[in-house]
Amino acid sequence: MNIYYSIKRDSWENSLLRLSSSYIIYGVTGNGQSTDYDLISERNISSLVYNRPKPATPLKTFFLPVRENVTADTVKEVPRIIIGTPNCDIEALGILDEIYLDESFEDVFYRRRRESTIIISSDCLEIQEHCHCTAYNINPFSTGKADLAVILRHDDIILRAISEKGIELAEKSFNAVRSDDRTLASFVESRHHETVEILNRTGKGLPDYRTTGRLVKAAGESVWKRYSSKCVSCGACTTICPTCTCFLLIDKPGFHKVKQMDACQYPGFERVAGGEDSLGKLPSRFRNRYMCKYVWKPAKFHSTACTGCGRCIEACIGKINKNELFRELAK
Amino acid sequence: MPPFNNIYKPFRAKLTKVIEESPLIKTFVLRPDEEFAFKTGQFIELSVDGIGEAPFTPSSSPLVRDMLEVTVMKTGYMTGYMHDMKPGEYMGIRGPFGRGYPVERFFDKEVLILGGGCGFAPIRSLLYNLIAISDKLRKVTLCYGSKTPEDCIYKPYIAELRKTPKFEVLRSVDKADSNWNERVGVVTVLLDDVKVDISNSVAVVCGPPVMMKFGTLKLLEMGYPEHDIYLSMEKNMSCGLGKCGHCMMGEYFVCKDGPVFTYAEIKNQPNIWN
Ligand SMILES: Cc1cc2nc3c(=O)[nH]c(=O)nc-3n(C[C@H](O)[C@H](O)[C@H](O)COP(=O)(O)OP(=O)(O)OC[C@H]3O[C@@H](n4cnc5c(N)ncnc54)[C@H](O)[C@@H]3O)c2cc1C
Ligand code: SF4
Ligand code: SF4
Ligand code: FES
Repeated sequence: MNIYYSIKRDSWENSLLRLSSSYIIYGVTGNGQSTDYDLISERNISSLVYNRPKPATPLKTFFLPVRENVTADTVKEVPRIIIGTPNCDIEALGILDEIYLDESFEDVFYRRRRESTIIISSDCLEIQEHCHCTAYNINPFSTGKADLAVILRHDDIILRAISEKGIELAEKSFNAVRSDDRTLASFVESRHHETVEILNRTGKGLPDYRTTGRLVKAAGESVWKRYSSKCVSCGACTTICPTCTCFLLIDKPGFHKVKQMDACQYPGFERVAGGEDSLGKLPSRFRNRYMCKYVWKPAKFHSTACTGCGRCIEACIGKINKNELFRELAK
Repeated sequence: MPPFNNIYKPFRAKLTKVIEESPLIKTFVLRPDEEFAFKTGQFIELSVDGIGEAPFTPSSSPLVRDMLEVTVMKTGYMTGYMHDMKPGEYMGIRGPFGRGYPVERFFDKEVLILGGGCGFAPIRSLLYNLIAISDKLRKVTLCYGSKTPEDCIYKPYIAELRKTPKFEVLRSVDKADSNWNERVGVVTVLLDDVKVDISNSVAVVCGPPVMMKFGTLKLLEMGYPEHDIYLSMEKNMSCGLGKCGHCMMGEYFVCKDGPVFTYAEIKNQPNIWN
């Protein structure tokens, strides 16, 4: 579903400020290349940015804090609105939901945070060097998983309602005017199309997403050895990844447990009693991340474990570029 | 609002007795604050307050609901603390987790069990279960190996088992002393002595990784089909819930999809023997 609304930028901002009495509002702000989520108030509402590629922080941190006590008997449920999330991060919620809302063991902290958060996506009309969502069959604009998406055009905010909830938001919370002629729709569609074209061009040489798993599986030891030779096992690639959510429970007195983000790229992740560690050697540890994302998780879950956001490439201090690796495998 | 059901929060269990099984192995008898039911082969996450948490398979009968026993080898940090604990102290329990032994599939069959070291812990729980349903089984043969006679655990239990109809016990040690009159050698040598109708049998293997590997290879060589060999896999674990990722073995979460697998299910996964 795509229903279009339009609203003046200042009345959109006023509506948001009005909503901030009952919601905590986070939005993407920033300048130049770097953007990130910020707490939004009157002070900075005009610095919200729209239609820019992904912010520095992946969306997952709103639902899975880096570190938290998980033996508490409550979770602070503050209704939140998050504005400006790009579609790659929205798509990443698919696998998070499968893992954390799994009915046999539902994570109540995740569930409550997820339910008390409204996400307003932003369609990407610009890209960054390493963005490659379309290579993983993901659009740079939200389709199924979001309710509402925003596009800035001159001084107007165009709202695209994707679900019933999105319609309600647009009409009730923002009093936006529904546009039933095709003008807004064709403007937005042509911008979507342009972005996809750019992504397809920059993503040239990347393998078809249906073959990545096969290529990773078939890659020889020498590939992993060569690419991992610059890896320092810092875990930046997994920490920054919107779909990586591995963690460790740490015991505290009073039978409390602190759940802390962990990474298969840290030595010892799979060490068992007696010292055996199947990921003890760097190349096998490095390969594990690829096998997990492109072979094992796709076999186990219905959602993607890589959205092509490109953050892992930007974050790597060893300057390891997974797209270079994939281009080599695809040759 | 639905109840706040917290999967990370342990409930308490009082340590009522500590039994010394061997220099490195102790059995801890626990009385949980809540009634506790598990299927044989499932495991629990057991916490030492403020120190750490680790996975253990109960070694007691799954038919007993108010008490629980775990048999623990001292191998490192958490188990080191545990071995110093005294009756009266409290521990934390989460679970039970995972998929245990599908005992219904053993009906009308001979069960061959191969165990080594601390792998005997889950096997004892299985044996309790099998004794309770022995009228539905043809025969149960336990082959159990340890390093030395001193490392043989559950001595009184073995003596009892030897008197139980339909149950047979074969033991081996890597290194014998002058009193040892059973087999000497790695546990797989016992398989040479076993008389079993393979076409009507299932095998269960539990023990240290090397033993599991060579045990499985030998069973395959003997003619056991891959789907009739049940393995209890050991991986690093943290959550037990299929979330933290530590126990991943290829596309399986060992904690949730296992820890009991047939060899057929896992033979193509990486690092199964570590
Ligand atoms: C399903 C299952 C059932 C099991 N059943 C039994 C059983 O019945 N009996 C038995 O004796 N054993 C059993 N084990 C093995 C048992 O869980 C290990 O022996 C135990 O985890 C060892 O813990 P440790 O802290 O003493 O050992 P260590 O060698 O100190 O640590 C073992 C693990 O803890 C991690 N670790 C150590 N220190 C830290 C730290 N400071 N911070 C974070 N991580 C750390 C290591 O990475 C390693 O993964 C079972 C294992 C599994 C998976
Ligand atoms: S693996 Fe890299 S490109 Fe893929 S989702 Fe994670 S951070 Fe983004
Ligand atoms: S970010 Fe780069 S250096 Fe750090 S663990 Fe990942 S691949 Fe290795
Ligand atoms: S132990 Fe956490 S996923 Fe299995």
